[in-house]
Amino acid sequence: MSTKIFIDPVTRLEGHLKIAVTVNEVGGQQQVVDARASGNLYRGFEQLLVGRDPRDAQHLTQRICGVCPVPHGMASVMAQDAAFGVTAPTNARIMRNLVLGANFVQSHILHFYHLTALDYLDGPAMPPWQPSWKADKRLDKATTDTLVGHYVAAIDMTRKAHEMGALFGGRMPDPAAYIAGGFTTTPRADRISKYKAYLNELLPFIQNVYLPDVAALGAVYSDYNNIGRGYGNLLAFGVFDLDSNGESKLLRRGRSVNGSTSVNSIELNQITESVRYSWYEDSTTNLNPAAGKTLPQSPKAKAYSWLKAPRYSGAPYEVGALARMWVNGDYRQGISVMDRHQARAQETLKIAQALQTWVNQLQPNGAVYTKPAIPSTASGIGLTEAPRGALGHWLQTASGQVSSYQIITPTCWNASPLDDASQMGPLEKALMDTPVKDLKEPIEVLRVIHSFDPCLSCAVHVSRPNEKAKVQVIAGCC
Amino acid sequence: MNVSRRDFLKFCGLSAAAVGLSTSELGLLEKALASPSGPSVIWLQGSGCTGCSVSFLNLFTGGASVPSGPGSSTKFKAFLPLVTRDWQHSEPAPNPGPDPTPAPSPSPGPSAGTAADVLINNINLVYHPNLMSLAGQDAVAQAEAAYNKGGYLLAVEGGIPTAFGGRACYAWTYNEQEVTFEQAVRTLADKAAGILCIGTCAAWGGIPAAPPNPTGVMGVKALTGKDTINIPGCPTHPDWIVWAVVQLLLGKPIALDSFGRPTQFFGTTVHDQCPRNGLTKATTIGVDNNCLMDLGCRGPATMANCPLQKWNNQVNWCVDANAPCIGCTEPGFPGTNPFYAPGV
Repeated sequence: MSTKIFIDPVTRLEGHLKIAVTVNEVGGQQQVVDARASGNLYRGFEQLLVGRDPRDAQHLTQRICGVCPVPHGMASVMAQDAAFGVTAPTNARIMRNLVLGANFVQSHILHFYHLTALDYLDGPAMPPWQPSWKADKRLDKATTDTLVGHYVAAIDMTRKAHEMGALFGGRMPDPAAYIAGGFTTTPRADRISKYKAYLNELLPFIQNVYLPDVAALGAVYSDYNNIGRGYGNLLAFGVFDLDSNGESKLLRRGRSVNGSTSVNSIELNQITESVRYSWYEDSTTNLNPAAGKTLPQSPKAKAYSWLKAPRYSGAPYEVGALARMWVNGDYRQGISVMDRHQARAQETLKIAQALQTWVNQLQPNGAVYTKPAIPSTASGIGLTEAPRGALGHWLQTASGQVSSYQIITPTCWNASPLDDASQMGPLEKALMDTPVKDLKEPIEVLRVIHSFDPCLSCAVHVSRPNEKAKVQVIAGCC
Repeated sequence: MNVSRRDFLKFCGLSAAAVGLSTSELGLLEKALASPSGPSVIWLQGSGCTGCSVSFLNLFTGGASVPSGPGSSTKFKAFLPLVTRDWQHSEPAPNPGPDPTPAPSPSPGPSAGTAADVLINNINLVYHPNLMSLAGQDAVAQAEAAYNKGGYLLAVEGGIPTAFGGRACYAWTYNEQEVTFEQAVRTLADKAAGILCIGTCAAWGGIPAAPPNPTGVMGVKALTGKDTINIPGCPTHPDWIVWAVVQLLLGKPIALDSFGRPTQFFGTTVHDQCPRNGLTKATTIGVDNNCLMDLGCRGPATMANCPLQKWNNQVNWCVDANAPCIGCTEPGFPGTNPFYAPGV
């Protein structure tokens, strides 16, 4: 007999996500046979940006998400640099990477310990660990106690990663130092030495605590190496430019289809967004970000999400640490719940080690800023990665003001609803066939969701404007 | 924790008006304070970005042992340096030269004040979407139980969108009914012993409410008519949040300005406390030790003690990174003027 289960809110993620799964018995196993993911917050950032000075954008767009603000700051100044035709000095490129890298380290550690671990831990008798579901908690008391201790230590580590980022960024979250043409902070020697001292604390934690914990969890829950695969399509814009033209990156741009080891290129004109199942007017469906429209419409028949459905050449793609590490050739063990956690932990180490190299490349007395000559009409695109995946900002200006600002965020890719061809989004697909032992405590569903590290604030701001938003109200509705 | 009845009555007399609590609300707060596990806190998130919760997790007030005075709780001992220092009238920190002690902040000792300490030892965090173990209806049931009992502190992060019938933000689904954030806030604000607006969005709408305010975002007081203690900032500062919670629990009065902000932190402008006040004005980006006013700094129009409190365990703050203040603690934030002056 099929049963529909709602999980709303899905906790231990950023933002507002509702999940509906239909569960039924298939071949003697109770499992998910249908899934719907709903983004339940809409703010309309793009509308706020239209008419503003383009250089406000990195400040405003950082507030799309407080867990991953820095990627938005980075994408925004990259789009502005491209639009204004300016190249940031090397010191600025490095500091932008150092603050972004600190955000990645903080976010990945936070994700494993504070957002994910409670799916597997039956912790002490107090919040936040309790009350909790009891289903399928396999860890013995000693391991549980150790992980609880690591959870608390990880709060200290994420704090330190943010302090490290603030040394150059000004404050974390939402560092104000990002600006078109460079960076505001000077790379003073005392900041450099403090940054290195923080890395000397974070690296041992990543190597000796975080990575082993992920491995230990994966050993006890090894069945999760075969749960939550989804489509196996992986996409990355790439991140951490190693040179001034962005051709060489720490993690490269590319995409893989259905778990293939060959990496294909990305042509931006292949990106479209469906809205049939989203609360936007159907006339705006399947448009490329450079030419689209966002006209919110609620209520709307069949729609169930404030997220649109981004597709590449019509196909859904997963983004995130696994996608980046796969495309870059650093991780090809598999695509599953546990593979996502493994890849994320390994990526944390890779980035932290790179930060150590980069901070030593700073020139304390070197330039940090090249003043751009800002044309009154301009356009530029900034493509980078947030911890959760590929992120793009599309900027257009006219008469010196923003005329269009479009953003496609990682969680929009991952947690998207059905598209016009009724293909599920990556997270919905990954939920299919997931075993559910206890209908009252569908912990398996939570584990699949959390493996994606969803960030719903990011997912739902997308817009493309040209017209003012119109609201259609169906008569008689609340 | 227990606050003596005498201290509590003193608190009532001095500060009821200041925190805007009615007699019945004071009764609820007294019950909350008397709870051995600490007050129940329901933390809601609406039309925001979670930045204030992330900032809260960065809390660190050092580990020095402090004397306990009459009426002080042993539970909050670690936070007393934070609450007893007069942040408003401290001398601004001198401009740092090359730093002889490059070591980062120490790991917390047993008496350090950290976010973990607050969450685990000092309050009963009944509901927090980012941190709590339970999900779905079982999670909402925790908030409902606290609501039924009364006497809880309501912390709101993010504003409340009212367009689309409130459907631009859903709080949860309960008994197969979807509940908008607007409905959840109206309900929970009604029986709260106190309401803390965490961040500029909850206080007055913040960035999502910037023109044209596409989703009709409102702050908590504007929506409900209830008095709130507003801890603004985009994000807000963890010290500011904890200070307010500690004041409430120790029975100390909180003086608020006409925008509901504690004057302890928001009584003086950034500019008046800034170490660069009076220094040569910067004419371009990236120059240390220059006043940033001509670059568009909103310090003169922004109430906040950032120059003294600084950020992230005092490692830096916006202006010391040569980034002009964007005025994130003000009711009108972000406003319509550009953050950088023309020609910068």
